[in-house]
Amino acid sequence: MTEFKLPELGENIDQGDLVRLMIAPGATITEGQPVMELETDKAVVEVPSSVSGTVRDIRVKEGEKIKVGQVIFTVENGTGNVARAPSQASASAPPATAAQVAPPPPPAPPARASAPAAADPTEFRLPELGENIDQGDLVRLMISPGARVSEGQPVMELETDKAVVEVPSSVSGVVKEIRVKEGDKVKVGEVIFTLEGGAVAPPQRPKAAPVEHVSGQVAARLAFQAAIKAEGKTEEQALPPDQPQPIPQTFTMPVQLGKVAGTDHGEPVPAAPHVRRLARELGVDIHQVPGTGPGGRISEDDVKAYSKALLVSAVQAPRATHFAEPVLPDFAKWGKIERVAMRGVRRKTAEHLWEAWSTIPHVTQHDKADITELEQLRARFAPKAEEAGGKMTVTAIALKVCASALKVFPQFNASIDMGKEEIIYKQYINIGVAVDTDRGLLVPVIRDVDKKNIVELAAELTQLSQKARDKKLTPAEMEGGSFTITNLGGIGGTGFSPIVNHPEVAILGLSRSSIEPVWMNGKFEARRVLPVSLSYDHRLIDGADAARFLRWIAEAFEQPFLLSVQG
Amino acid sequence: MGYAAAFLAADLGMKVTLIDPEVNPGGVCLYRGCIPSKALLHVAKLIEESRQARNWGIEFGNPKIDVSRLRSWKEGVVKKLTGGLGTLSKQRSVQYVQGWAGFENSTTLRVTKPDKTEETLTCDRVILATGSRPAIIPSLKLDSPRMMDSTAALDLTDVPATLLVVGGGYIGLELGTVYAALGTKVTVVEMLPGLLPGADRDLVLPLHKRLEKMFDSILLNTTVAGLQEDNSGIRVSFSGSAAPAERQQAASLQGERVFDKVLVSVGRKPNSEIAGLENTSVTVNPRGFIEVNRQLQTDDPVIYAIGDVVGEPMLAHKASHEGRTAVEAIAGHKVAFEPNAIPAVVFTDPEIAWCGLTQTQAEKENREIRVAKFPWGASGRAMTLDRTEGMTKLLIDPATERVLGMGIVGAGAGELISEGVLAIEMGALARDLELTIHPHPTLSETIMEAAEVFYGQATDIYRPKKN
Repeated sequence: MTEFKLPELGENIDQGDLVRLMIAPGATITEGQPVMELETDKAVVEVPSSVSGTVRDIRVKEGEKIKVGQVIFTVENGTGNVARAPSQASASAPPATAAQVAPPPPPAPPARASAPAAADPTEFRLPELGENIDQGDLVRLMISPGARVSEGQPVMELETDKAVVEVPSSVSGVVKEIRVKEGDKVKVGEVIFTLEGGAVAPPQRPKAAPVEHVSGQVAARLAFQAAIKAEGKTEEQALPPDQPQPIPQTFTMPVQLGKVAGTDHGEPVPAAPHVRRLARELGVDIHQVPGTGPGGRISEDDVKAYSKALLVSAVQAPRATHFAEPVLPDFAKWGKIERVAMRGVRRKTAEHLWEAWSTIPHVTQHDKADITELEQLRARFAPKAEEAGGKMTVTAIALKVCASALKVFPQFNASIDMGKEEIIYKQYINIGVAVDTDRGLLVPVIRDVDKKNIVELAAELTQLSQKARDKKLTPAEMEGGSFTITNLGGIGGTGFSPIVNHPEVAILGLSRSSIEPVWMNGKFEARRVLPVSLSYDHRLIDGADAARFLRWIAEAFEQPFLLSVQG
Repeated sequence: MGYAAAFLAADLGMKVTLIDPEVNPGGVCLYRGCIPSKALLHVAKLIEESRQARNWGIEFGNPKIDVSRLRSWKEGVVKKLTGGLGTLSKQRSVQYVQGWAGFENSTTLRVTKPDKTEETLTCDRVILATGSRPAIIPSLKLDSPRMMDSTAALDLTDVPATLLVVGGGYIGLELGTVYAALGTKVTVVEMLPGLLPGADRDLVLPLHKRLEKMFDSILLNTTVAGLQEDNSGIRVSFSGSAAPAERQQAASLQGERVFDKVLVSVGRKPNSEIAGLENTSVTVNPRGFIEVNRQLQTDDPVIYAIGDVVGEPMLAHKASHEGRTAVEAIAGHKVAFEPNAIPAVVFTDPEIAWCGLTQTQAEKENREIRVAKFPWGASGRAMTLDRTEGMTKLLIDPATERVLGMGIVGAGAGELISEGVLAIEMGALARDLELTIHPHPTLSETIMEAAEVFYGQATDIYRPKKN
């Protein structure tokens, strides 16, 4: 049977109120899984388990005050990661002694005693850093020859493709030779440095696991804790006492901290010195904290609130993505697969569309426009457009039609600022046109569409599309759109639901026109009909308005004369 | 300021050894800087005021100056302070080692004591607080007792009849003021077009005007071309590209002049040539400063450095604050040296003090600010002191009305500036200064009134807000 005890939570935090228990007896838990929410005087924190197994009995209740080191629950068939829970008692330890409050009892032997690293105590090799990480770039060395290192002390910062990790030493002694340089690629198992004489790491001490840089936050804190735990001390013992006491014997040199949060900026912030100090202690970048005081002054409460929000979002974020992005099955089980990095346009598109889809409540309105007459006009004016260097396409005409419609219905040429609870109406009409290229979807924007005639628009559209396909579009040419048109008619289809190009609020989709029998003047006539689809942001646009807007567009296609009368 | 760091470290429970070549701790500030110079400046001020008293109907006659008694009084102040620090070291069980230290490696130091014996010490962490020394320009190097640096000038061996001060920075002006008050004819030569380069011109102007009366001459845009000693003194030749305003003055001095003594005060150099530093990973930049991060940690993670040796401004109060930060970082606290304002004070008469953003800096960065000035001519207190040449100004962010900087020129400016430092550190708005009751009649009121000027309504001057 294995016990889980409340681990160290941070500087000067020795207890907290149990707000929520997230486990029940009989439940299976795995290491790292959050098991409860604890409110300390600094923030609400989710406490992850350091043990795995089946929960047997829970020794605490919601609403109770829990002290660091107190037993929270026991598990059966459990395994524990000692590095993360040094307070964990060995299986044979009687619960009564283990239940004592801080300082925690001496930690159990390391669970990963068979780790390949640190086999020879006179040298320090790069230990296992985590699953699928076999090397990293050495960002910063924190030791020098002749320096004394102690077990648990961070000796370097390594950048893996997952994170920047502080690597603690697993040996103690005086550094003799350093075999790596900053900037080197270092492999797991590679010798980092050697020790003089070869001091031996006491076997009882746990191997401190590498600590991830979570925004510089927590990291330094955890590194510090890991080292102190390695020495079997509580933080209170390791940290200098609050009152000056001229008793040098009580001081233990703590491990050096990594970066302190928020110290990369030079600009002064409107926060009093004690507030800035609090932010550093909480690992909050003061420059990110919104100040609620006059002139944006940041108060102690602002820092605490921001810190709390950070912790809550840090705790919730992984859970949110957990639901949103379910773990993928091992596709290779069923056949050969190839994994390709998602880059450039594809990644951007994925991010942008995900954002648009999750932000905007979409509705799509469908309609049909009779373009029989328009087709005749198009054929007639095609040579004029060609003279100007363009092609008189349905999209070119749609540009003009939409520009006119947007003038009549300004709420379709707007954006929403939910933060300020305002609607932004644009006094300009810039329309983006989705272009299919071999790199993916690009949306060049045609500016001031309302001030150009169809021939000009056709020429500009032809140019921009060509530029898009030639990879010559500049970012500026894809910015500033207030509405978007996407035409899949060239390929086919009878209708589709385009996704609004956020922060715009509407998008018009055109499908393939076809000859349909239309009941006219008492008989069926063969007419060319264009399916049009309008997706819109239902937060700003009501269904009836969307129907009117799309009808206006359909009618403008049917009677181009409308443009000059109403547009 | 090594002692400040050492004491804090001891108070936090660390076992501390303090190594210094002097008998007692103290550093540049106590032995050869702030403290002895301020003792002498106090005397200078007294002499000047006794002369000014004629305006008020009081005649003291010419002061009789006993240089040796003055010197021993000044030395007494230094001794009392440094001796006090020695006692404090003992009380804190800080092991004090008199000697010169060099690195064998990052954590092993070899100390050479005054009696040439050596001792090897090992430690977990080192803090370097080696300070700075007067800079020397090779062309101004002349081996003669008539040549002084600031340290020699503070020794006050005599009161020369004539003195040339090379360099119009704060050290030269402070010491020039001392010697001028004691009766020396002082000439200042500065190669830049103004005294106190870097300080806002409107703050320097009242000082410049007063120094013009006090000193024999002030030569701007002028450099010393050569030095030669003969029986009559130091023969100095100048070369000047004097600006039109100063041309007349400079012209009279083109060629040569003879001075009894020459004080070279052209800046200070960091003491980063530490023996065995190459055995560590400490980086010294091309300007001679030791590179540190915001925890004052050098590139050698077990070695920290503070004070003049890590960079400008070379001020004792900056150094002691850095010392605190370094020690707390060593103790595992999450700290950083990132003050919003470091006050600077020039202890001339009038004094000049500033903190936070300066107007010069704002202009350089093309940063939009509003400046509110309150001239001391409208201050009752300044009038009672017969010192109305002063001025108090606030630099304010127009968007937030936050106080970004403060500058003061006038008697006691150094004592007044702390309010500005506090205002900036606390993120105060000009409104806060305006609405804080200041005692009447004091010079501190000028700060409140400068804030009133910003809002267009000040009691003692009429200057409606322009919009």
